[in-house]
Amino acid sequence: MNTFEEIEDRDGIRLSWNVWPSSRLEATRMVVPIGCLFTPLKEREGVQAFQYEPVTCKMPCRAILNPYCQIDVRGKLWICPFCLQRNQFPPHYKDISNTNLPAELLGQYTTIEYILNKPPSLPPIFLFVVDTCLDEVDLKALKDSLVVSLSLLPPNAMVGLITYGTMAQVHELGYSDCPKSYVFRGSKEYTAKQIQDMLGLGVVPAMRPGQPQPRPGQPAPPQTFGAARFLLPVQQCEFTLTSILEQLQQDPWPVSNDKRPLRCTGTALSVAVGLLEAAYQNTGARIILFAGGPCTEGPGLVVGPELKEPIRSHNDIEKDVAKHVKKAVKFYESLAKRAADKGHVIDIFTGCLDQIGLLEMKSLVNLTNGFLTISDSFKTAIFKQTFMRLFNKDAEGHLQMGFNATLEVQTTRELRVCGLIGPAISANKKTACVGETEIGIAGTSAWKFCGITPKTTASLYFEVAAQQQQAVQPGSRGLVQFVTLYQHASGQYRLRVTTVARNWADVNSPEIPASFDQEAAAVLMARIAIFKAEIDDSPDVLRWLDRMLIRLCQKFADYRKDDPSSFRLSDNFSIYPQFMFHLRRSQFLQVFNNSPDETAFYRHILNREDVNNSLIMIQPTLMSYSFDGPPQPVLLDSISIKPDVILLLDTFFHILIWHGETVAQWRKAKYHEQAEYANFKMLLEAPKADAQELLAERFPLPRYIDCDQGGSQERFLKWKVNPSTTHVNAGGYGYNAASQGQAIATDDVSLQVFMEHLKKLSVSGSS
Amino acid sequence: AGNFGNMSMGPGQPQGPAAVNLLAGPPLLTDLDAPSPVSWVPPQSSVSQAPTSNTDPKYKRCTMNAIPQTTAMLAKSRIPMGLLITPYRHLLNGEEPVPVINPPQIVRCRRCRTYINPWVQFVEQGTRWKCNLCFLSNEVPTFFDWDPETRAHVDRMKRPELTHAVVEFIAPQEYMVRPPQPVVMLFVIDVSYSAVQSGMVATAARTILDTLDAIPNTDNRTKVGFITVDSSLHFYNLNPNLSEPQMLIVSDLDDTFLPMPYDLLVSLSESRAVIESLLQRLGDMFKSTQCVQNVLGRALQAAHKMISPIGGKIIVLQSTLPNTNDGALKPREDPKLLGTPKEVTLLQPQNPFYKNLAVTCSPTQVSIDVFLFSAQYADVATLSGCAKFTGGSVYFYPNFNAARPDDAMKFANELSHFLSRPIGLEAVMRVRASKGIRMTAFHGNFFLRSTDLLSLPNVSPDNSYAVEMTLIENLTTSLACFQTALLHTSSNGERRIRVLTLAVPVTNNLSDVFGAADQFAISALLAKKGVERALTSKIEDAREALQYKLHEIMAAYKQSFTTSSQATQLLLPENLKLLPLLTLGMLKNTAFRATSTVPSDLRSYIMALLYVFPPELCITHTHPRFYALHVLEPQAGLPGEDGQIMYPPRLNLSSEKLERHGLYLLENGVEMFLWVGRAVAPELCKVLFDKPSYEGIVPGKTTLPTLSNDYSTRVNNLIGKIREVRIQMATCYPHLYVVKEDGDPALRMWFLSQLIEDRIDASYSYPQFLGVMREQMGKISAS
Ligand SMILES: [Zn+2]
Ligand SMILES: [Zn+2]
Repeated sequence: MNTFEEIEDRDGIRLSWNVWPSSRLEATRMVVPIGCLFTPLKEREGVQAFQYEPVTCKMPCRAILNPYCQIDVRGKLWICPFCLQRNQFPPHYKDISNTNLPAELLGQYTTIEYILNKPPSLPPIFLFVVDTCLDEVDLKALKDSLVVSLSLLPPNAMVGLITYGTMAQVHELGYSDCPKSYVFRGSKEYTAKQIQDMLGLGVVPAMRPGQPQPRPGQPAPPQTFGAARFLLPVQQCEFTLTSILEQLQQDPWPVSNDKRPLRCTGTALSVAVGLLEAAYQNTGARIILFAGGPCTEGPGLVVGPELKEPIRSHNDIEKDVAKHVKKAVKFYESLAKRAADKGHVIDIFTGCLDQIGLLEMKSLVNLTNGFLTISDSFKTAIFKQTFMRLFNKDAEGHLQMGFNATLEVQTTRELRVCGLIGPAISANKKTACVGETEIGIAGTSAWKFCGITPKTTASLYFEVAAQQQQAVQPGSRGLVQFVTLYQHASGQYRLRVTTVARNWADVNSPEIPASFDQEAAAVLMARIAIFKAEIDDSPDVLRWLDRMLIRLCQKFADYRKDDPSSFRLSDNFSIYPQFMFHLRRSQFLQVFNNSPDETAFYRHILNREDVNNSLIMIQPTLMSYSFDGPPQPVLLDSISIKPDVILLLDTFFHILIWHGETVAQWRKAKYHEQAEYANFKMLLEAPKADAQELLAERFPLPRYIDCDQGGSQERFLKWKVNPSTTHVNAGGYGYNAASQGQAIATDDVSLQVFMEHLKKLSVSGSS
Repeated sequence: AGNFGNMSMGPGQPQGPAAVNLLAGPPLLTDLDAPSPVSWVPPQSSVSQAPTSNTDPKYKRCTMNAIPQTTAMLAKSRIPMGLLITPYRHLLNGEEPVPVINPPQIVRCRRCRTYINPWVQFVEQGTRWKCNLCFLSNEVPTFFDWDPETRAHVDRMKRPELTHAVVEFIAPQEYMVRPPQPVVMLFVIDVSYSAVQSGMVATAARTILDTLDAIPNTDNRTKVGFITVDSSLHFYNLNPNLSEPQMLIVSDLDDTFLPMPYDLLVSLSESRAVIESLLQRLGDMFKSTQCVQNVLGRALQAAHKMISPIGGKIIVLQSTLPNTNDGALKPREDPKLLGTPKEVTLLQPQNPFYKNLAVTCSPTQVSIDVFLFSAQYADVATLSGCAKFTGGSVYFYPNFNAARPDDAMKFANELSHFLSRPIGLEAVMRVRASKGIRMTAFHGNFFLRSTDLLSLPNVSPDNSYAVEMTLIENLTTSLACFQTALLHTSSNGERRIRVLTLAVPVTNNLSDVFGAADQFAISALLAKKGVERALTSKIEDAREALQYKLHEIMAAYKQSFTTSSQATQLLLPENLKLLPLLTLGMLKNTAFRATSTVPSDLRSYIMALLYVFPPELCITHTHPRFYALHVLEPQAGLPGEDGQIMYPPRLNLSSEKLERHGLYLLENGVEMFLWVGRAVAPELCKVLFDKPSYEGIVPGKTTLPTLSNDYSTRVNNLIGKIREVRIQMATCYPHLYVVKEDGDPALRMWFLSQLIEDRIDASYSYPQFLGVMREQMGKISAS
């Protein structure tokens, strides 16, 4: 059997269970649902797309011909595994034979991409929404980045600009006589109709009677109406836009010392949404918001302009004293839904030391699969580089982003889909494949991703349809077909089809636990936990996670009843509890160490990354560098904190290089600058080189921290490591902690304590 | 009164002033061009005896150059008592500027606040001065005789306050509630379809651009701004650091707001480059517009919001009828109403929006000037309300089309003069008169802040004001004095008070009252009263009132002075002999004529002009100047001794004067007409029109070619001279229409309708008119 990673590389999918039980009841007993993390547009090396139309099953099935179909080469027939209908091959498949099969029937094409024969879509649209309530330097930095980004866009990509502060301005880039913009009051909530009227986005104005019609053969007059005035191909408006950006001034309205600047983020976004929905429905488009602070004016207000009013905290929200939150959330949700309905993406880049209201605004990115990056200012590398990475291109020079994707799931009749968790919205397609249980965005077998990248990963959950246990025919398998229709950055419409097949097994068959992918399972459970946490209180979610973990252990561990010491987990379950331990204490569920904005940010990222990245977020990786040998991964544990080592911590969001006390002293003494200590120099440089490699890949760019033992930045490391040696239990549990590790000031239980409890609870008969 | 005792006879025998029998022949026009009537008070009787002691009638004149001593006598005379004041008039070539003085203290009467003037009296060995209005004795300040700076004695009789009837004081601090405001000009320019298509926008932009250097801008304080308007408002960020203007569009018209807190109104000097950049492109910026909507009302509110913290001028250039949002107007012209009693409804505002707006502008020192261009109905009646209550002016260009050089030229010349002429800002004007005289009504473009305080956010040099007065008690002194004080900020940013003091003798002799009456001032006052009457009642009522007033005066004269032996005559004093002709002219004027052929826009416009015209222009418009050009005498059209172009003698306004081979010029202050007789000599066609014959001459709006011959030069000189004077007096650059004897009937009728001695339509000829008058007089003597 292929390893999970090999399958992932080919089909972009990781399943929690790779052999499925034949009854619903048994599936429920397995605790972790049958589910997968699916990366619809997973980049696959050396695989190209095919420029022909897929062969589909009859209505209403429409399943797509795939390697798991039975074919009759003589009868030129194929049998659809999903609906069992017979289908005639199309006439141009007349030469089909067992040695002459089209790609989609070949085993290596369980995932195949078609380039559809459809007129290409408009090039992608990028509508920048730029905060001008920034200080001079920050504004300059942002303007510079925006100008640079123009050169990174495909020349035919369309761009637009909205700036905002006290008021929102839509810049008419198609106007050549001078910079021109439409001004909207920040304090006012405009309807879509009003926005469109005010921008003059109505239909072509009626010709005035008596007005000369353009003569044939003469160049048509420039388009002076409609949304085309605001959104132009970058090659056409680069000069104009650059000069507007260069001349862009800070918001001119005076701000007194006891006030925040008036920022009408909500109005600016609603104008942006209104502009796009008027003219570019179902066209790939990104609204990219650059926010330097919270919305303080008009709809979507996050905090009032008085500085004496602090921005809400998790505490305020919990105590229900955050007076603007509900209203703002409602406002941004309705905007997000409008954008998502029309297939438009909203990205948010923040440049602010404080919060800007992501808690309220998160639906904008979550529903549209927008990018979200937080940084302290627009001067930071985090912002600049992350923003530039938005425009990364593939080998053919296309942006690595698709638009308006619809992911449809088709299952064989024994399996039903329960829902999806990820940056998508329901496409409201209720087919026979939709199951009874609801997990995540449920009640549909199709979802829409306004934006989609090769990394976008959704989790999907399934249930077994059969209520009764049935004898399983040897070799019988269930199929899931994922059909992703999307607008490629080139403008082509493409269809990516992934068909996966997994065997059914009898209840209690050892094949089932053997097929468990604990990494995928951990991430699937993490996503459910966060989905719940967005709705429920955190303590309930933690209790749920604990209960699920205990039940899983009860089901799959080897133990004698009431004998914790007999507790054993097989290899493919063994680190699952550890993932759960770290998940419990992670920022995803322990929100009080973070601001509401940070929580929204972290959860947003976890919701879209693949298994590997998600695991790093749940349980960061720790590498240790010392003179004792080559760098090696070490336990994310306080025992790994030693004075003579350098540690490289990767939490996905932070990359931290930590120097033990001794190393730090040597570095301070500048030994590495002396020729005789070349090996120390190498030791210092090794983690940096590794960090650079990590930084190069990431999106968003992690925060890079270089610190020494005892320094204030060290806290990022201490928060993450397992407190096996705390001020409470130093020296316990058989580790020689007193000499080797560092005590962590925390009241959290350590992994060891956690495991003891888990064993005890699992083996006891009572639960 | 002793000064003109030679004119009055002893008591008992009523003996009038030298009288003229109007029936004796056609009216004599010489008085029309006579120098302004000489003051009846010899300047030697002023305290300084300076020749400039009394006010030049061009600045201020009274309808009576002798004021009746008693209320009874005033009533008996039937002559309206009033003042016509043009306080800020533009100086014509060769005129002396008003002396500007900066005394350590402005000397005023303690009681009535009259400014010291040449008509006070020094009493108590010159240590005190007696106020010539309320007669209170006030202390003379020492600096009148002693200059503390030069430590030398000065002759108080050389002080301009005492030698000049018109002076301007630089106001000290206490006359200011805030620093003097800078010149502020905010242009509100229509950029909808017709405004752009007609070339108005491009011509305006080019003219403003070309005039930037001439806009008053002392100390670089002048500020300008622009709002262009169609269905939305377009503001312009003119920050001096920008390389080009930024256009900010506000389409949210639910309420008025400005898109930026500053940089919309900018220093003309600092932002000069970006302003030029805007004006250079403004003509093209809207060239492809299809928008036929206009939200002027909202634009004016925004404009007011923008400049109200400072005050200043809003200059509206409007082509489309405002048709959207607040202040929207309906195209309501209805030819069926013209010439009927209901016509007046078209001359009244169709809604109060613009008047209300103007009334809110006034206290913030904001004035509105309105330039109207329209191919269709412009609603001058409603839109002129903006100007009327803010001291502004109305300019009207019906059917404007910049593709016609004449149209572009007229507009450009007028706008250019408008922008470059001196401006008085944030002004108030008060008129004081000697004890016993009371102001009863004011006419002109202003807002009346209290019973005698006129608020003028902008003092236009073109605008004249009329004051009606009455006696509330018998006068006790030999002189009646009228003092007008205009506190204003001059273009150069100084707070100034222009003071005009007019002294008029008081008489107990009715004959003097008649003999010293000013027929031109009376006519001008009656014209303004007529406009008011027409607008508040009916045009017909205004005509009746005009005719009735003439009748009253003539009857009053007849009753007092005509003997039965003169019964067959129709007598009026020499100095009033043109009053019937001027009245007839008024009755036939576009403003008042009984006709259904004058569109209401034109009627409204002419009424608005008459309402602010100084007396000279009122007269010219009522009685146009008419010259024969085919028989030019040697000096006509050439510079005279004073360097000014000489006019030919005026002709009576009668078609009898029209010879078939003749060529005539008629000028009414607003337009010029060149009448070409059918049998005009081909030679004349050649030298003037560069055409071989009459047939080749194209009728209509024209610019004559400048040909290198004496005749062409002289005619062009005349036309140029007329335009020069009109632009300076009224910011008007008259069009020249060529009218062929057998040409376009409408044009012909327009010309002929100004020959007021003729019978036109159903109106009386001059002799008929006199006949009617005589008939009515007869009834009086019979009674
Ligand atoms: Zn099928
Ligand atoms: Zn006095």
